[in-house]
Amino acid sequence: MKNATSINVNKGMYDKFCQVNGIHPLASKVPDSCVLYQARKRKNGKVTYFNFNLAKSMGLIPEDHQEKITNELDQIILDTFSIIIINEYDINHKIKFKEEEILPNKYMATRYLQLQHPNKQGKTSGDGRSIWNGTIHHMGKVWDISSCGTGATCLSPATSINNKFYQSGDPSISYGCGFSEIDEGYNTLFFSEILKKNGIETEQVLALIRYPNGMSITVRAHSNLLRPSHFFRYIKQGDDKNLKKLLDYYVDREIENKSWGPKPTSEKEKYNQFMHNITKTFARTTATFEDEYIFCWLDWDGDNILMDGGIIDYGSVRQFGLFHHNYRFDDDARFSTTITEQKLKAKYIIQTFAQGIDFILSKSKKKINIFKHDKYQKLFDQTFKQYKNRNILKKIGFNSNQQDILLEHNLKDVLKFRNAFSYFEKAKTKEGPAKLPDGITWSVIFCMRDILRELPQLYLCDEKNILPEEFIDIAKSSYATEDDLYLNSYRQEKINLFQHQYWKLIRAIAEKTNTTPNKVLIELTMRSSVINKYYRVTGDAIGNIVDTVLKQSPRLAPEELEDLLHFIVHQQQFNPDDISSVIEHKKHENYKIKNRILTLVKDFREGI
Amino acid sequence: MKLVFYSSGEPKDNLELDKIMLSQMAPTDPQITFIPSESSESEIHFQNFIKQYQKLGVQHFIHMPIDIPIHETMINKAFQGDIIHLSGGNTYYFLHHLKRSNLLGKLKKFVASGGILAGTSAGGIIMTPSITTAGFPTFDCDDNYISLKNLTAMSLVNFEFFPHYKKSKRYDQELASYSKKSRLPLLACPDGTGVIINGDVSMVCGKLSCFYQGKKINFKY
Repeated sequence: MKNATSINVNKGMYDKFCQVNGIHPLASKVPDSCVLYQARKRKNGKVTYFNFNLAKSMGLIPEDHQEKITNELDQIILDTFSIIIINEYDINHKIKFKEEEILPNKYMATRYLQLQHPNKQGKTSGDGRSIWNGTIHHMGKVWDISSCGTGATCLSPATSINNKFYQSGDPSISYGCGFSEIDEGYNTLFFSEILKKNGIETEQVLALIRYPNGMSITVRAHSNLLRPSHFFRYIKQGDDKNLKKLLDYYVDREIENKSWGPKPTSEKEKYNQFMHNITKTFARTTATFEDEYIFCWLDWDGDNILMDGGIIDYGSVRQFGLFHHNYRFDDDARFSTTITEQKLKAKYIIQTFAQGIDFILSKSKKKINIFKHDKYQKLFDQTFKQYKNRNILKKIGFNSNQQDILLEHNLKDVLKFRNAFSYFEKAKTKEGPAKLPDGITWSVIFCMRDILRELPQLYLCDEKNILPEEFIDIAKSSYATEDDLYLNSYRQEKINLFQHQYWKLIRAIAEKTNTTPNKVLIELTMRSSVINKYYRVTGDAIGNIVDTVLKQSPRLAPEELEDLLHFIVHQQQFNPDDISSVIEHKKHENYKIKNRILTLVKDFREGI
Repeated sequence: MKLVFYSSGEPKDNLELDKIMLSQMAPTDPQITFIPSESSESEIHFQNFIKQYQKLGVQHFIHMPIDIPIHETMINKAFQGDIIHLSGGNTYYFLHHLKRSNLLGKLKKFVASGGILAGTSAGGIIMTPSITTAGFPTFDCDDNYISLKNLTAMSLVNFEFFPHYKKSKRYDQELASYSKKSRLPLLACPDGTGVIINGDVSMVCGKLSCFYQGKKINFKY
């Protein structure tokens, strides 16, 4: 075939791209888990972004490849990823495509549970506009690659609700048309790279291909793109055989990727280890989401999240500037969970897995309520608390050694501080709930990052508590009115408690590490200024940044987009142990966009 | 009046200036306020700043970016200190935000009441009558990307300050040419050098040059 020839031309440096050809082991291991589609080349694509670092770690390009999209690289990216499926509509309407445009292998759209589908057993839901391109093996690691915007599959909500197949790109429907818009791709790109840099597991964008009319294909990669919802479908359908097949496939991949410990020696041990790992992963992930103010809509379907707690699908993902614990995303027909309810949904995901594992082992599906108080629920709560305790110490600025000391010797003080912190973090306006363009919220009145950033340096200067009025002056958010900030005796008491507990932690570390409180405070001053820096992107900021970049994008070369992305990610680095040098961005080209980006981050820093 | 002008350079290059400032001008156990020229990434500069002065025994630091809303509490604490350090960066942007946040007057009062004001590069230029020197030489000048028109600065001294000076023909030509039009002497400081004003005593630290009415005079300490 002509297509195959065009890929073969690029033999050599880009050999590995040829392995990304639709073939994926899941399709043969669990054939029921997907719908296979023939695909064809999609024309008029333009590569607007390519993630060189990711491509290098996947072995797609050599380590010493220059960070420039050469004509040859451009061609191989388009050959591999600029594709569109030949779907049921095309077949039913006998649409003819040139033989040389049709790709040799089939690509899978995977089936998984989705709460927005009328069928609650996952019989009609899954990848509505994505296909899986295949896998890549490199340095002992296997990567999954999938693409979003590759045409309408039969698993989209539109097909299920209207009981008809759609032509890819049908302008009469939006989400169900199988295409994705370029702003979604940019949003995913910016958000995922920032979160990844800060240690949050997430899908990553490998490439962005732009088409006319603002459409795009977003190519994404991760070490395992399975979600809990892939498994839950079989539990809902009472299909223990396929559930076991899928679970065994998943475990084998994890072992191959060395993300598990030693290979289990028995089936029982394997499933116990699975439950143990998944429980700890989801407890850690939800505690981190809560403390980093990351809103990721978790629900009973186990969608929107990967098995390792990584974020997938950035449509409803937000990073709040403050602890907006009453925010709910409005997805037309329904409201999402809140950031604090994520924990409950994560626990339910674990409960569902416990039901599934029991189903595999006993061959009989029991009611889910039986697993409501099992040992994994307890393990979840225990792990969640441990991470909450560690996270608050990390936020204050304590290094990992100091965190260990305090958790071992001063747990009660840590808990007392967490309680005092939580009182301010959750305090809301008197105004009450308010509507937002994309949901509802009830604004909070304190910015705890600000107080954590400024407090150690103020203590360094005066070596005593600051006044309650000063505390309020620093911690107040832009949502707070004078009324909201009224200093009653209860609040004064809470401020005193906050400061008292803070000092107790400082003194405890000074004593245990044989140093002075001043030295501890100097270290906290430095670390906290990075952890709690003023400039922190929110979902609102990302949306506006994407708009700004998109306006410039026709004039931006992929390398310039890469430079902008690098700038944003560098700005949004909150790890005090990993500070690289300052970028002299003003002297670079595009400094006006960069300054605009900074202004947007600043303007929306307390938002959703 | 206590002022310290740093050209810039590595901390070790400025050790002499730091030591003179701390031993001859500052009280024991001083508090230093670090005012960065811009808030973005200033936490990294602040960390380096702390590391530099911690080695010299300083234990009290305040970080106060001025291009973001500033809490009244932080302003009060910042000005209660003994030393205020204005960082390097884009001189136009820095001056614009110092004026916008009404801090120039406060800084002058701070100096008048005995506080030590130090400035590195852009920070030093801002302590002089005008920031015109940030606009040359053409091959290595600050970009006035905010299109600042009023370049009047603090006027704490009656000379102009030119940091990052390199002894070369093209620098000398530009500086000499400028000095012909200026009524004030222009002190050109290579990195690692600086000027100290402690009451009636002024001293230069390192090898620096003065351009005045088209002529160049060299100083050495």
